[in-house]
Amino acid sequence: MKFYVFKAILATWLVISSWSSFSWAGLNVVTTTSDLGSIAKKVGGSLIKVNSLVKGYQDPHYIQPKPSYMVKMNRADLLIYQGLELEIGWLPVLIKGARNPNIRWGQPGHLDASTGIPKLEILSGEVDRSMGDIHPYGNPHYHLDPENGFIIARSIFNKLSELDPENASQYRENLDRFNKKLAEKISHWKKQMAVYRGTKIVTYHKLWSYFLNRFGLSILNTVEVKPGVSPSTRHLAMLTSQMKRQNIKLVVQATYYSSEFSDMVAAKVGGSVLTLPAFVGGTSKARDYFSLFDIIVEELRKVLPSNL
Amino acid sequence: MKSRTLYILLIIYLFNPVSAWPASQLEELEKRIRILESTKEKGPLQNSSTATGISRKFNPAMSFNGLFLGTYNDEGNYDSTKEVRTGLKVQEVEMRLTANIDSWLRGDITLAVEGSTGLEVEEAIVEGVITRNLSFKTGKFLTSFGKHNQLHTHAFPFIDLPVVSEEILGEEGLNEVGVGGSYLLPTEWYSEFTLQLLQGDNTKQFNGPAGSDFAYLIRQNNLWDLNDETTMELGGSYVYGKNSLAPPSSFDNETHLAEADLTIKWKPAGREAYTTTIWQTEFIGSFREQTQKGWYTLIKHQFAKKWWVQGRYSGYTIPNGPNRGDKNQWSALFAWVPNDFSAVRLQYNHLNQVTADENQVLLQLNFTMGSHPAHKY
Repeated sequence: MKFYVFKAILATWLVISSWSSFSWAGLNVVTTTSDLGSIAKKVGGSLIKVNSLVKGYQDPHYIQPKPSYMVKMNRADLLIYQGLELEIGWLPVLIKGARNPNIRWGQPGHLDASTGIPKLEILSGEVDRSMGDIHPYGNPHYHLDPENGFIIARSIFNKLSELDPENASQYRENLDRFNKKLAEKISHWKKQMAVYRGTKIVTYHKLWSYFLNRFGLSILNTVEVKPGVSPSTRHLAMLTSQMKRQNIKLVVQATYYSSEFSDMVAAKVGGSVLTLPAFVGGTSKARDYFSLFDIIVEELRKVLPSNL
Repeated sequence: MKSRTLYILLIIYLFNPVSAWPASQLEELEKRIRILESTKEKGPLQNSSTATGISRKFNPAMSFNGLFLGTYNDEGNYDSTKEVRTGLKVQEVEMRLTANIDSWLRGDITLAVEGSTGLEVEEAIVEGVITRNLSFKTGKFLTSFGKHNQLHTHAFPFIDLPVVSEEILGEEGLNEVGVGGSYLLPTEWYSEFTLQLLQGDNTKQFNGPAGSDFAYLIRQNNLWDLNDETTMELGGSYVYGKNSLAPPSSFDNETHLAEADLTIKWKPAGREAYTTTIWQTEFIGSFREQTQKGWYTLIKHQFAKKWWVQGRYSGYTIPNGPNRGDKNQWSALFAWVPNDFSAVRLQYNHLNQVTADENQVLLQLNFTMGSHPAHKY
């Protein structure tokens, strides 16, 4: 009787363990953000499985290191993250708990997608927490400059070819296809945004620097008084008077912020608040890296004429 | 100067439509820019001169936690032996050092000062991954007996311990020298199996007379994503060891500790920074010549970006024997948490016990400085 029970437990164990590692011969890729996931899927195609931990409508600063993420990372061959300390609040805990030696720092299955990116807002001199939630090595939201998409895609291509050299030529084809489409799209978006070069706007958080830099717009100031710190009444008053003086009316923010402060500012200056997806999946229409910018450009073009 | 001109020329070159450049030429140009950038950065090497000649870059990440506490208790104002007594104190200051020791080990040391004197090693851990799915840990550490026991004081959900933990495990919790491993089961949900061999020094439950009187811990816990917004964790632990009852006595000197816990956490999709609700319950029991058991249940609710309101009940009972009795604790807490590094918390406790009932008000400033590792989920 006892031996029968033992056999039953052993059989169940074998079924569970073999079921969860059921015949997927390709690479298992886990990315932190959905943008990295979208680009990885385009470069890897059907040869890889991609899982993105953070949904596009979630604020990557406030992700909790849920053990369910550790399970996905435990099964991964490659971990890709944005870096520049964007995920510093939770990714190290996940890497430790994932118990996967291949994805740890310095191992082949570990890719920091910020390598090779020309970084904006690198802080020089002394930095400390009184400056807010700052990223001393540069603004980590570099995926919002579509030209950085070439660099991200190439890093991912190099890594996939290193881990899976047999399929390198297929990855190369996918990369070329992605590069071609991205190049066409970028020149299209540039044409659409050309008329707004030199426009100044206000954003809630310093999320949009790379996007604005690429398309020739700039920000006057943020609604936040410091990164991650909600505005004081004094800051809001100073901001609204600056905006009135310079006739700036548009406030842009990501979907995952509450809009109460942006609404206050827009009401005072007679302008409007535009809520945009900051990542793939931020809204249902921003389904991949291309449509993310399609949406952002389309929404800006709708709203900018009445806010100039 | 010459390299600067070349740098500017390369930037101007790149403003041409990227599609005009074949990929290999693009790579070449980027490589040259990277080289230029790195040569520009070469100035006097910083942080290199130390007494050992070794770079400071290998130094551990260092952080400090501080807990400053103001207490009011309507009982025991003149009782100097009372732990929770009206007054101001430094509840605890903790220093945490973490570093990768080498390519296979990681070190994590927590030094704590309770009050304003006496540095203690709260935890000194070396850990690593043995093989896929299996990690190990050794040193002195807060053992995996339930959820609350694994927390450092500054991470407690309330300012103080629930009555059941304090009575059964003591102020320090089940903190032992030992060695253990933790295995991630190959299931679709997070399922973990932990075994720990412990020295068994805890004066309340163990501390057996023989040097070989170790304590043995086993824990199994599971966490499920009920949906994108909600997680549920269910776990149980058991520890066996010898206690300090002098043999021979009419009772054996074995202690059996058992625990079961359930935690549910919710954060709304797309508004994770603004709202959270956590409900956690633990049942703890000590089964030996005298049974002690109890439980706590707590709810934490973040109702605005920086504000939390919380409630907790903890009951503790010795059901039979000469020390028969109950102790219950009702707690309510209100906290202002502007960010991850500082918090001000105000808590009210009502204690129902065999000696006089107590009403306590606690006000805590909880702060963190430096590179502090993120807490477990």
